Amino acid sequence: MNNKKSAKKHSLRNDIILITAVILAAVIGLIYLNFFRSPGDSVTVTVDGEVYGVYPLSRDICEDIYSGSNNENHNRFVIKDGKAFMETATCPDGICVGHKSIFRNGESIVCLPNRVVITVTLGEKTDSPDVII
Amino acid sequence: MLSLFFALRVMKKRIISITVILCVLLCSFSACTKNKEKFSTYTMDYFDTITTITGYEKTQKAFDAVAEGIISELGEYHRLYSIYHRFDGTENLCTINELVDGEHRTVTVDRRIIDMLLYAKEMYYKTDGIMNIAMGSVLSLWHDYRTIGKDSPSEASLPPMEKLQEASLHCDIEKMVIDEENNTVTLTDPAMTLDVGAIAKGYAVECIAKGLEEKGITGYVLNVGGNVRAIGTKGDGTPWTVGIENPDGGEYLSYLGLADQSLVTSGSYQRFYYVDGKPYHHIIHPDTLMPSEGFLSVSVVCKDSGLADALSTALFCLSLEEGMELIKEFSEAEAMWVSDDGTKTYTDGWKNFEN
Repeated sequence: MNNKKSAKKHSLRNDIILITAVILAAVIGLIYLNFFRSPGDSVTVTVDGEVYGVYPLSRDICEDIYSGSNNENHNRFVIKDGKAFMETATCPDGICVGHKSIFRNGESIVCLPNRVVITVTLGEKTDSPDVII
Repeated sequence: MLSLFFALRVMKKRIISITVILCVLLCSFSACTKNKEKFSTYTMDYFDTITTITGYEKTQKAFDAVAEGIISELGEYHRLYSIYHRFDGTENLCTINELVDGEHRTVTVDRRIIDMLLYAKEMYYKTDGIMNIAMGSVLSLWHDYRTIGKDSPSEASLPPMEKLQEASLHCDIEKMVIDEENNTVTLTDPAMTLDVGAIAKGYAVECIAKGLEEKGITGYVLNVGGNVRAIGTKGDGTPWTVGIENPDGGEYLSYLGLADQSLVTSGSYQRFYYVDGKPYHHIIHPDTLMPSEGFLSVSVVCKDSGLADALSTALFCLSLEEGMELIKEFSEAEAMWVSDDGTKTYTDGWKNFEN
């Protein structure tokens, strides 16, 4: 009888350990998914809605983007000192080249004629607006 | 034998209890993932600008269905309200502008064109003639010179004042006659044309937003090239946050929270061309016939996106004092003026929207 009681007690303790372990694993998993899986600070370039490339904001680069059916359109974008800007573009309106450099989460530069969009994505959670106009 | 039986019973109980707990955990996790998530997409095909649609839905599929509906409607309004392009099978504003039928031009059009033109005429009166869609002859001159100036900067020049003044003789909105019963538009001045750039986009966005609201769709925000319209709030019930960019860099000019509201910014930096190194933007004053001076941008917040669009253009063309007077007529609208030197002026209620 005593043995039975102790076995029951024992199994209850094991259950608690097991359940605690499962919950702990789940919580750690959730924390990991929420906080550590996000990508680093980067600039995403899309052409006509398709991702053209993702570039880290931390490394200075100068990248040529060719678009159009015969690659006749050209935009050159630059990442320098953690900020991205459009250096040159073959589009007539020049709005993208005139745009200030971008570095805040969600900021973007649009070249409508060449259908090029460059957008900043910051990895760490920052207080960025849903819409920037 | 008995102890084995007990051991089995204990194990069975244990397996059941663990299974139950795992089930509960799994259910709660899947409930987590069933929470609405934020999705976003964009199109560059309409209204000569970029349109971003952001919304909270449980699945990508649900979001795509709503976004596709919005984009297809946006396309319809784009075709109807286009003043520079004609589309097969659609009588649009370009048809009205291009048809020459002797002295008069009469076109039967879609009801959505009639409604927008009626609203534009109403706004003409409400803004004391500052927001005038009958200014097509003047604005098309600017449009042509701007296009040439952008395509070949060395040949960039200003439209001659004589030409602008001649064109300004054909800007009488009363010569646009609308027959509501038969859905026809007649331009009784053969030299006049319509330019709805100051209102059509906002009006279209409002129509689309109202359509979504009628269907019970909520948790979306549309940004059609600076015409922002929030439909409901974000997924967690908080307002959508909107930052108004400072074109000269630096902090946001304003950071707002919008729920079921519209925000439109008219800015000198949005569309322009250079002549002899000086920028000339696209918001033309009806009296001087030249780009309005004094402001970097004017932003308007109110429920109706069409009103916000028309008002921001009108305020951009008025002095700060005149604008302050005008906006008093619209109790639901708030405004922020940013002058060329960066000074910001607000209506009293603007801060209620600031985050």
